Amino acid sequence: MSKQFQFKLVLLGESAVGKSSLVLRFVKDQFDDYRESTIGAAFLTQTVTLDDGTTVKFEIWDTAGQERYKSLAPMYYRNANCAVVVYDITQSASLEKAKSWIRELQRQADPSIVIALCGNKLDLAARRQVTEEEAKKFAEEEGLMWSETSAKSGEGVTEIFTAIAKKLPLTAPPSARTGGARAGPARTGVDLNKQANTTDGQNEPCNC
Amino acid sequence: MNSDVVVVGTGLTESIVAAALSKAGFTVIHIDSNPYYGGDQASLNVEELAQWADQQQQTSSSSQNPKFTSISRSSSFPPNSRQFSLSLSPALIPSTGPLIDSLVSSGVSRYGGFKLLETVALYDGPDRVQAVPGSKEDVFKSKTLSLLEKRRLMRFLTFATGKFEEAKELVGQEMTPFVSFLESVFSLNETIAQTIAYALAYCTSQSDATFPALQRLRRYLLSTGRYGPSPFLVGHYGGLGELAQGFCRTAAVGGSTYILNQHISEILHEELSDASADSENAKTWTIKLQDFPEVLSCDALISSGGLLPPSLNNMVPVSHPSEQHRIVRGFVIIDKPIHLSSQDETETMVPQDIPSAKTNTGYNAIDTALILFPPGKVEGGSQTSVASVLVTGEGTLSAPRGYYILHLSLPLSPSETQQDSSQRLTPYLKAALSLVNDDSANIEPVFTLFYTEDSTELPGGTEQSTVTARDFVAVPDTTCSYLPEVADAHTKTAEEIFWQAVEILKHRGGKEGHEEIDSFWPPLDLQPGYDDEDS
Repeated sequence: MSKQFQFKLVLLGESAVGKSSLVLRFVKDQFDDYRESTIGAAFLTQTVTLDDGTTVKFEIWDTAGQERYKSLAPMYYRNANCAVVVYDITQSASLEKAKSWIRELQRQADPSIVIALCGNKLDLAARRQVTEEEAKKFAEEEGLMWSETSAKSGEGVTEIFTAIAKKLPLTAPPSARTGGARAGPARTGVDLNKQANTTDGQNEPCNC
Repeated sequence: MNSDVVVVGTGLTESIVAAALSKAGFTVIHIDSNPYYGGDQASLNVEELAQWADQQQQTSSSSQNPKFTSISRSSSFPPNSRQFSLSLSPALIPSTGPLIDSLVSSGVSRYGGFKLLETVALYDGPDRVQAVPGSKEDVFKSKTLSLLEKRRLMRFLTFATGKFEEAKELVGQEMTPFVSFLESVFSLNETIAQTIAYALAYCTSQSDATFPALQRLRRYLLSTGRYGPSPFLVGHYGGLGELAQGFCRTAAVGGSTYILNQHISEILHEELSDASADSENAKTWTIKLQDFPEVLSCDALISSGGLLPPSLNNMVPVSHPSEQHRIVRGFVIIDKPIHLSSQDETETMVPQDIPSAKTNTGYNAIDTALILFPPGKVEGGSQTSVASVLVTGEGTLSAPRGYYILHLSLPLSPSETQQDSSQRLTPYLKAALSLVNDDSANIEPVFTLFYTEDSTELPGGTEQSTVTARDFVAVPDTTCSYLPEVADAHTKTAEEIFWQAVEILKHRGGKEGHEEIDSFWPPLDLQPGYDDEDS
């Protein structure tokens, strides 16, 4: 049987760089020019199948706007296997923000986390403020993956997630191997939605 | 920045309220003066906890009625101090009850992790610590109880899990101390009576009354088996503080705005005339933050009185908690496991299977356990109150491998004389450390923090306030001395506040379009932010 993995992926980056759009393109192959600033989902999932048949299921967490006033909870980083830190290639300030998010990840997240730096809005390359060389140099210095994408045209989106999917199983802890059973990276222990194997009628969960 | 409601403080109660209001379709701005989530329930790492303690020490010397007093901590830190999560409000979560219902109904259960409590043990003197049974089956299997004792115990357990409200045994005994009730009405011996009162019903003193104790006991007994042999769950990463973050994330996913680390500098309140109240933009509350460019305005304000500027004290309703609580707390980190003797080694009153690896010595190293110290059992300890030590290790993800957090709590009645918190808890700490089965003579904790926590009154002193803002909802103090009741107390309070807020908001401008809100949590598949794909 081919290997199966499940990983938690967190998105980071300044507001309006296209974090949610990137996920929407990857998960649903859609783009919306006037997207509201929050994605409105607890997390989205998407599975990538690699050439050798290995499947990697991403559980993708959006910041839900909590990054805007520097109010992202530590819970967000917990058990994250990988992070996509997004900047807008037409805004050089957004790369500076991305750098500070990377420092935050290095401080808060698991040391083995795989970080990809992603320059979005490649469709607006005519208004580019961040050169490829500059971002690439920074990524190399910090040991990050790097690429440019356009959530609008779809260019590079699948590629960056696939590249992460290829890199992760090599570094992943054995616990991420799901072997067919549904087990999230973040969820060990008691699953509140499942009862223990007792059929005691008095222990009905709730009357909702 | 406009919203329907501003919630001040990200304690568990406020966080549940924010999530529920957000899911009900209201716009919420949620602010906190702290740089962290969770308020008085926050889960902090060791460095943050030490900072918190130092800050409270400053507050306690300058404040008239400080919540936290008699604070002392060690200056030593464990290595990897960032890998610890200690909740300011340790708790056991019953497997059935308001918090679990809310976690499941809101979808927040997808964010939080839990571990079943492995063991509850009763300290009966040095080297005499007994694991406590959780179920009728345990009692039935016991080899140490006589047949008569078993029959009496079974009779009591049948009574306690049934409709005892109507039972003749209870008539006139509702307020009798529970231990005496068990001895006199059910002829149980002292050991069994104390075990039931302290380790099954979680009475915190020998004078705890029968009726509330029976209500708790029934709930816990009926919770047994839902997720496993123990009725209780312990939250990962410090528990309640982590769950508060989960509710906040859910609120944010529903569109709420989060602003942490911002102090309120000014709050203005203006009663609107009926005409202007219909306008969407007319808001009664205007809130300025110290270091934030935008002004917040809203129709309803939700806050505990203590978090508001003193100038508002005459505007918020004064309420006195029905009971004053005082709890002496300790947080101690050790780098050796505590061992409880396995059932084969010593006579346990009733045996229990402890699902952890047995060591060669016949002792079990415990990872997630509660040890209770009945009144008078510890030399130098309280003669009236029950102390508890909640042990959490790697299994709850609250400590790195090889380290264990001891959460000590000793509830006191406010009448008991104030005494140094570290002195109060030292006898219990010694007793707990004597259970570390180690050859070296002294076990040195790698970190200690002790303090005393009082439930606070809302501001306004003793005078009844005359002016009350109708669009203000006060969050009462939920300090609670019963470890298994804390989480549900927050949830129950949150639901009350939710309904009060809905009542205010549904009369406000532009809200006629709201559908009738008929439940605390809407069905999950209708909730915004619920991604069904995954389930």
